[in-house]
Amino acid sequence: MAIVEWLRRLMRRRLDDEDLREEIRAHLAIDADERMADGADRRSAQLASLKDFGNVTLTIEAARRVWTPWWLDALHDRVGDVRYAIRALAKNPVFSLTVIGVLALGIGVNAAVFTMLKSIALSPIAGVERSAQLAVIFAETSTGRQLPISYPDYVYLRDHDRAFTGLFGSSVAKVGLGKGRSARQVWCELVTGNYFQLLGVRAERGRTLLPSDETAPGLDPVVVLSDGLWRRDFGADPDIIGKTVEINNELLTVVGVADPSFHGTTVVYDVDVFIPVMMAPQLGFKFGSQQTTPSGILADRGAAVFVPQGHLRPGTTIANAAASADMLWAAIARDRPLADAAERLRVVPFWQEPYGAPTVLLPTLGVLSAMGLLVLMIACANIAGLVLVRGLSRRGEIAVRLALGATRTRIVRLLVVENLVLAVPGALLGVLLAARGIPVLVGYAEGLAAPDRIFFNAGVDGLVIGFAVLVACASALAFGFVPALQSSRVDLVTVINEDASPRGAARGRMRAALVVAQVAVSLLLLVGAGLATRSVEAARRAYPGFDASHVTATAVDVRQNRYDQPRGRVFYRRLLDAARADPDTESATLAEFIPMGFLDTPVRRVSIEGYEPGRGEDLAFMSNTVGSDYFRTLRIPLLAGRAFEDRDDESALPIAVVNNTLAQRFWGGAAKAIGKRIRVTGAGDWRTVIGVAADVKYARINEAPRPYIYLPFLQWYRSSMVLHTRGPSAVDVLVEKARAHIASLDVDLPILYARPMAETTRGAFILFDLTAAMLFVFGLSGMALAAMGTYGLVSYVVKQSTHEIGIRMALGASGRSVVLAFLKRGLRLGAIGAAVGTVAALSASRLLASVVFGVSATDAVSFARALAIALGGVLVATIVPAWRAARTNPLSALRHQ
Amino acid sequence: MTLHSSRPDARTDLLHGTLDMLILRTLQWGPQHGYAIGQTIRAQSSDVLQVEAGSLYPALQRLAKKGWVTAKWGQTEANQRAKFYRLTPEGKKQLLREESRWTELVNAISRVMKPAPGSRE
Repeated sequence: MAIVEWLRRLMRRRLDDEDLREEIRAHLAIDADERMADGADRRSAQLASLKDFGNVTLTIEAARRVWTPWWLDALHDRVGDVRYAIRALAKNPVFSLTVIGVLALGIGVNAAVFTMLKSIALSPIAGVERSAQLAVIFAETSTGRQLPISYPDYVYLRDHDRAFTGLFGSSVAKVGLGKGRSARQVWCELVTGNYFQLLGVRAERGRTLLPSDETAPGLDPVVVLSDGLWRRDFGADPDIIGKTVEINNELLTVVGVADPSFHGTTVVYDVDVFIPVMMAPQLGFKFGSQQTTPSGILADRGAAVFVPQGHLRPGTTIANAAASADMLWAAIARDRPLADAAERLRVVPFWQEPYGAPTVLLPTLGVLSAMGLLVLMIACANIAGLVLVRGLSRRGEIAVRLALGATRTRIVRLLVVENLVLAVPGALLGVLLAARGIPVLVGYAEGLAAPDRIFFNAGVDGLVIGFAVLVACASALAFGFVPALQSSRVDLVTVINEDASPRGAARGRMRAALVVAQVAVSLLLLVGAGLATRSVEAARRAYPGFDASHVTATAVDVRQNRYDQPRGRVFYRRLLDAARADPDTESATLAEFIPMGFLDTPVRRVSIEGYEPGRGEDLAFMSNTVGSDYFRTLRIPLLAGRAFEDRDDESALPIAVVNNTLAQRFWGGAAKAIGKRIRVTGAGDWRTVIGVAADVKYARINEAPRPYIYLPFLQWYRSSMVLHTRGPSAVDVLVEKARAHIASLDVDLPILYARPMAETTRGAFILFDLTAAMLFVFGLSGMALAAMGTYGLVSYVVKQSTHEIGIRMALGASGRSVVLAFLKRGLRLGAIGAAVGTVAALSASRLLASVVFGVSATDAVSFARALAIALGGVLVATIVPAWRAARTNPLSALRHQ
Repeated sequence: MTLHSSRPDARTDLLHGTLDMLILRTLQWGPQHGYAIGQTIRAQSSDVLQVEAGSLYPALQRLAKKGWVTAKWGQTEANQRAKFYRLTPEGKKQLLREESRWTELVNAISRVMKPAPGSRE
């Protein structure tokens, strides 16, 4: 019974309007009847009872409120505010659209930066949930050098670790897909069998790789394709499963196509094929292993294969995982001791992975984020100015509201709600801008990276929209609040008695402060943009230590057509002969690596005869295997000794060439290095130094000088080499000839790439280029906003001073002197802003260090340019309204009131 | 009931509470419709308390929402349709609570207004 009653009450959570009306009608009828019984006539009785009852609508309203939940009640109030705000804003479309536009620009820039940040740090792996929460394990030597982990060590960690829900490994590499001349290089990930399961990536077709694909070396010749590759290269063939593809000359069976959203785990590279790590020996990967058996690298603790990663178990911290890894590492070291083994394991979040793109890109993104925030600051100052000006012109309205009894809180609330109403469309428009801009940026990056395919998880999603709305509302609140507060501080008497020409000193100070702030911040932005642009110019002009013009680079890996070492040696011998025989060729050579490829090439441990490394000193340097004529072809000067020659073959004395930095560091000079001996781990016995080459920028244009070692190809065979040719002809002709030489020797050998060498070094500039392009856009947006803001504030002041101008001109002042007066005021503020901005830029120069190259962070040219542009902007923003004021007719100005 | 509440609507609460108590009290003698409740309060207070319809009906809704009264359409003695309100057992308990609180309050106020002789120091 009680339950039924309770249920009925629950059902009746709302007022039954009709029932109440009926009840009120009954009330009126009874009342009227009683009056008629007392002798009144029907009509007057009805009127009297109605009059007695009072306001029917209000009564129903009050009854309804009894049933409305309190929060709905509160919301109702706000909705009223919002509705009022929209009406007020619609009445002033120029103001509203300006604020929306300014906010959209500020938000757009930040949404773009945030999207990039998201693609690097927050959700770096597309198609994988909680990818930012992945943690990685790598090894570290006693000197802090970071190393990947070998396969057997990985297996031990995977089987014994309890901190992770599971550990997978993946090693990224380029492989040749296809056969012969149609083959090209794609990014491949050699992965453990649990890779797809632990990442939670499903197959779109067929199956993913499974732990059963990781049984024994060479036993599972299977491959999973990316959705992109399947569509591009296989025409989305519905029968792809079960077909074979040729990768590095091995036939692999396609078992599945990965989910379309998945692009591999490298953050930057667009990975197209996923192959079980057990196939690595067959595909020709050695990972620095010295064991030559097919299964060798998978059993060799010295072969650094990959960086295991996974999600931590719930409740486990990085520190727990690190402690557990330390214990496991001690156990491994005890069971299977290895000379030169890394001292310890480290566990870090995904974005700190030593080999990962985030580590490389985050400093630059930091600069971009800071710059983006500056643009937002200008936008906010701009909006504050607009709100302030609008608040002044609304003094009348506000005064009337106050006079009618509105509280100040209520008025501030209304003004703040107006700002919020503007913030939301501003944010959405900003997101739209970002959504339009990011593909342009990514396309630009892709163009720079071509023919390598890259992919960023840079889609605009709910996270970005949420961020934009949040930032927009926060800015609208923060920067709309103070002006709103000022606007609400209206002195009734003055406003109602006087006209609307305020002389509030506080308000004037605030206007001035806004102009100064905008000029200062835009100067900061312009200096940043200027430095970045100058850095790109400097980087392009800088000499990397070799001459890439008129040089070709054509890469092959003879292993891809099943050459063993003797046949490979013959192939390269003949290739060089053919190239050198060509009348267009001035010189030709071979090299394992091309300098300035952006990423470091692997380092090797080096011993120097007679040199005892100090404690914590790590002798591990990058090296390159090169043919004869290498230094002549790339025009790298030899500072002492001689270069490699064709007689320096396997039967001759083992030799090496070192760079100047190495010679200086260990022997105190180029000449003294000749005849000294070094040993490179993995590359045979002691080698005698026969030459010293000048330093080159080996990976990036802004790297510090570092030791480097060249080994002769004839004494240290590599299957994968680059043919360099130099000649006076057009470089495109040379590239085609290089292709022809290879095809004439082996038409089935895949050419990995063939292009002018100048194009291969573009990668080294990508970051500079992108950063400069973005900073340039930021600087431009900031300057445009600041100019607009200054213009708005100055024209407002001019408009307010129409009366004053009229009097001056009536008293005989010339238009010129009026303009000058305003110009003086504007430029004074501009100068203060510029001074503040210059000081700020000088103190922020350390922040810019990561994007600056070849120019000082306090580069005078950049500062002078920025100053000129900023002050020019102020000049224009001031002179136009002032000039317009000077043209006003004094009479009409005086009549203004 | 505390009078020293800092809430801005403490005063209206007090008024609401009193009106609610009066209505509950009126219904103690049996179901009544809205008009009659108003008339009864007026008559019993010798025309001092005139409950406006604008307060009465929201108050009845409030009581119904709290489950202290239930309402049902019926016929008056003069054969007119009207909605009759009846006290629920919960409502009766509430009335008792209100009454004792009211008595306490009245006693307290009267002690302040007319201190008993001898209690002054």
